[in-house]
Amino acid sequence: MVSYVIRRVLLGLFTVLLVLLLLHLLTTLAIQLNGNPALAFFGDHVPTASQLHAVEVRYGLGDSCYQQPGNPCLGPFWHRLSEYAHGDFGTDLEGRPLTDLLAQALPNTLRLFVIVTITWLIIGMLLGSVAARFRGRPIDHSIRLTSVLIDAFPVFVMLVVYRFIFTVPLTTWARRTFGSDSIPALLFKPSYSEEHPWLTLIIPGLLLGLTGCAPFLRLVRAAQLENYNAEHVRTARSKGLSNAHVTAYHIVRNSSVPVVTAVGFVFADALSGAVITEGVMNIRGMGNLLWQSVQKSDVSVVVGIVTILSVVTIGVMLLVDLAYAALDPRIRLD
Amino acid sequence: MTETLTDTRADRAVAPLLEVDDLHVEFRSGREVVSAVNGVTFTLEAGRTLAIVGESGSGKSVTAQAIMRLLQTPPARISGGEIRFRGQDLLALPEPEHRAVCGEHIAIVFQDALAALNPVYTVGFQLTEALRSRRHVPRSEARNRAVDLLDLVQVPNPRQRIKEYPHQFSGGMRQRVMIAMALALEPEVLIADEPTTALDVTVQAQIMRLLGEIQAEREMGLILITHDLGVVAEVADQVNVMYAGRMVEAAPVEEIFARPAHPYTGALLRSIPRLDQKGQQLEAIGGRPPELSHIPSGCPFHPRCPRDEDVCRTDPPPQLRDLGDDRYAACHFAEESQIP
Amino acid sequence: MTSAAVDLEVVTDQPGGTWATVGRHMLRRPDVILATLVSLFFIVVAAFPGLFSRTDPQHCDISVAKIKPQGFGHPHPFGTDPSGCDVLAQLAHGARPSLLLAFTVVGASLIIGIALGLLSGFYLGWVDAVVSRLLEVFLVIPLLLAALLLLSLFRNIDAGDGDFATIVQPAIVLTGFGWMGYTRYVRAAVLESKNLDYVRAARALGASDLRLMFSHILPNAIASVTALVPTAIAGVISAEAVLAFLGIGVRPPAISWGIMISSGAPWFTGGYPYLLLFPLGCLLATVLSFVVIGDNLRDALDPKLK
Repeated sequence: MVSYVIRRVLLGLFTVLLVLLLLHLLTTLAIQLNGNPALAFFGDHVPTASQLHAVEVRYGLGDSCYQQPGNPCLGPFWHRLSEYAHGDFGTDLEGRPLTDLLAQALPNTLRLFVIVTITWLIIGMLLGSVAARFRGRPIDHSIRLTSVLIDAFPVFVMLVVYRFIFTVPLTTWARRTFGSDSIPALLFKPSYSEEHPWLTLIIPGLLLGLTGCAPFLRLVRAAQLENYNAEHVRTARSKGLSNAHVTAYHIVRNSSVPVVTAVGFVFADALSGAVITEGVMNIRGMGNLLWQSVQKSDVSVVVGIVTILSVVTIGVMLLVDLAYAALDPRIRLD
Repeated sequence: MTETLTDTRADRAVAPLLEVDDLHVEFRSGREVVSAVNGVTFTLEAGRTLAIVGESGSGKSVTAQAIMRLLQTPPARISGGEIRFRGQDLLALPEPEHRAVCGEHIAIVFQDALAALNPVYTVGFQLTEALRSRRHVPRSEARNRAVDLLDLVQVPNPRQRIKEYPHQFSGGMRQRVMIAMALALEPEVLIADEPTTALDVTVQAQIMRLLGEIQAEREMGLILITHDLGVVAEVADQVNVMYAGRMVEAAPVEEIFARPAHPYTGALLRSIPRLDQKGQQLEAIGGRPPELSHIPSGCPFHPRCPRDEDVCRTDPPPQLRDLGDDRYAACHFAEESQIP
Repeated sequence: MTSAAVDLEVVTDQPGGTWATVGRHMLRRPDVILATLVSLFFIVVAAFPGLFSRTDPQHCDISVAKIKPQGFGHPHPFGTDPSGCDVLAQLAHGARPSLLLAFTVVGASLIIGIALGLLSGFYLGWVDAVVSRLLEVFLVIPLLLAALLLLSLFRNIDAGDGDFATIVQPAIVLTGFGWMGYTRYVRAAVLESKNLDYVRAARALGASDLRLMFSHILPNAIASVTALVPTAIAGVISAEAVLAFLGIGVRPPAISWGIMISSGAPWFTGGYPYLLLFPLGCLLATVLSFVVIGDNLRDALDPKLK
């Protein structure tokens, strides 16, 4: 088991390196294609001389490799890696260090993810289990139909519809009925409020969780169905064990493996969804930071955040792999 | 666990362990209803071995699973007959009582030990799961019992092996684990559903010998389900032959081999390759077992029978006829002997 | 001891036959029929926008700005936007970039995915090792994030005019991070098929690698991958809307539904709801219909999940 863990961690670190290299290569190419490298970081803006200089220094744009499209620019890559190792992820257009901005934004994103996870657990696991248990009956069909419908609605559309069509009438109605500072009024607020972090996050979190839970639900259902008919379940029943015992120990436990692996895949989507959610609903989290930076063409921030989020994704996938090994002994001995 | 049966010494001596009486099992798929088991009847006494022989699709496994109530009840349904353990009607028992009787007194060993064992729990856990869950045996005692069970089935180094997982055992060892697990609650009836089919020949012999020894020691009733007549010869006392969901022959083992009464049995015997027939062509039974949804009219075996007469096609399927000497066969021409 | 008298059953897998069954299965359902009609409708709109609107979407007259929808038969059936451009014309012409992008991206990803999947599954060894590493690395970066990053950097690059020029940047980026799913499915299907009896038999008869890959293994792999296609198309259409909302999708002066949503959204509560509702409605209808087709295709091809 220990060797498995060590191997997975080393592999994870290697992947981190590869991912950073890939991002570097892509950004380098984009900069090279842009003609004037430094200007690539400013989009439509016209930068001041000092901003231009800061970017040139930070990214080592003085290096001639940036004038040659196709040159992988490994020198600047190593330089950037050492900066990352020191915790230096650059600054935004106004000179604020990215790490500071992230530290402020992180709690909000975490809060959002808590709500999303709870939504997945409740809706995804519960409904998936119910659908599996009553397979073929009306409730199974209606659950699956609902999951198809939910799936079809892109997060973006749901949020735009909610934010631009529903929030204003809902808030007005809530204010009129319950008062300006009441819970319902805050629930439906069109944008995030610092004083009521949890309340204003509930509905966006719910919506985001809803869109992601459909594949989760289907997976839970499929995994449990596979186990209902599995031979080891038949064996367990033949030993005279009660239904409750069989369900807990032999069905749920065995279906946990594919479900946990699913978390790894769904996480990447959830991250994208979070970016959209925070962006549209103006929640000051990491996703919003990214969203705003794209809109403002603050490219160095964009580069920094995408890098960090990719590393986070690798971390999550590593955790999933380790959980997988903990749950299924067959893998540990590879 | 207290006995749930009203049981006296006299009853124990008189009532057979297991009686299956005219069992019918059907499967419903959409609008189709398929008869998987059609009138199976047999009796099992303590210390005796009954072999149920047939090709795949003959209904033998379904019979075994029906006894243990392991069939998925839609789409399966026990549509007729009785199953009695020591005189008590199993089919009439509500679920918890049935589980008590069945779990404590009847055990089943499946063919594919790798699939039948749960891959995420240790062998030790699975061996004593029923002991701890049903009889609330404490963990330390359960561990010792697990070691004893592995000892019983001759698995070396049991103290170490109870901490291992099913995939760490070889095929033969896994099958021994399955048998050990089945014996954990000291059942009186053991059903072995193709216990050696997935194993190679030398291991087969070992497992069969083990089963025989255990059965003799504990005076258990053993039902051996197989498609391999060769295995039957060594171990069985009584043989039932099944085809397309029906019993087509039932006889003591010596009679089955010496004087098979049903053409199907005869064909099965002829198709066993024999060491003294080197150089000759293997005799196969032409055609395939019928799909249960398309069983031929009349006698279900007639399309493959060497002797296919008009009456076989037109008359209703023949019932088991008493031929004397404890032999029964379901054939219009059963009296005429079928020399192997 | 061998088993007595069992005839050898040869299992033949006929992928050709399953397509007809799939088609019949799907067309029996009313929601699939409706979805197919809707998606076909929008494909026609994308291909021939002139059929639906005579007006030029880029011919904007500020003097007729913000006219509410007048209904068919009038010069501006769906109204005009704050710059005086005709909404119906924008809708009709906006379909093309979205759908063209979707089909291009999915088509290209499919080809890359199948090629890589076939090669890595068939040859294994170092080819597989390289492809698997690539898969891992690309899978880690969420599609949207990659798109945001790269398109921000590409913002200033001019690709010229023409239908393809407007979509080429998002197309490259979305394809670049969209091929992984197909590769994985195809690779898994190849690994499975390689051991099938009829493939082994063909190899024993001397079939070349290419022939094995294309005639024997690929048909099996295609089935599993096809179910992904309609849902993927829907995904790209939605992704484009998000990118356009942020200003890094289809390039102006070309118009897309995403751009229309982005500019129309703030006007909703100001008394001009139609500016948001029309493009949003078209987007939703198209996405929903492709998803319904995709889901039903998947169910039809994999009855185990019923």
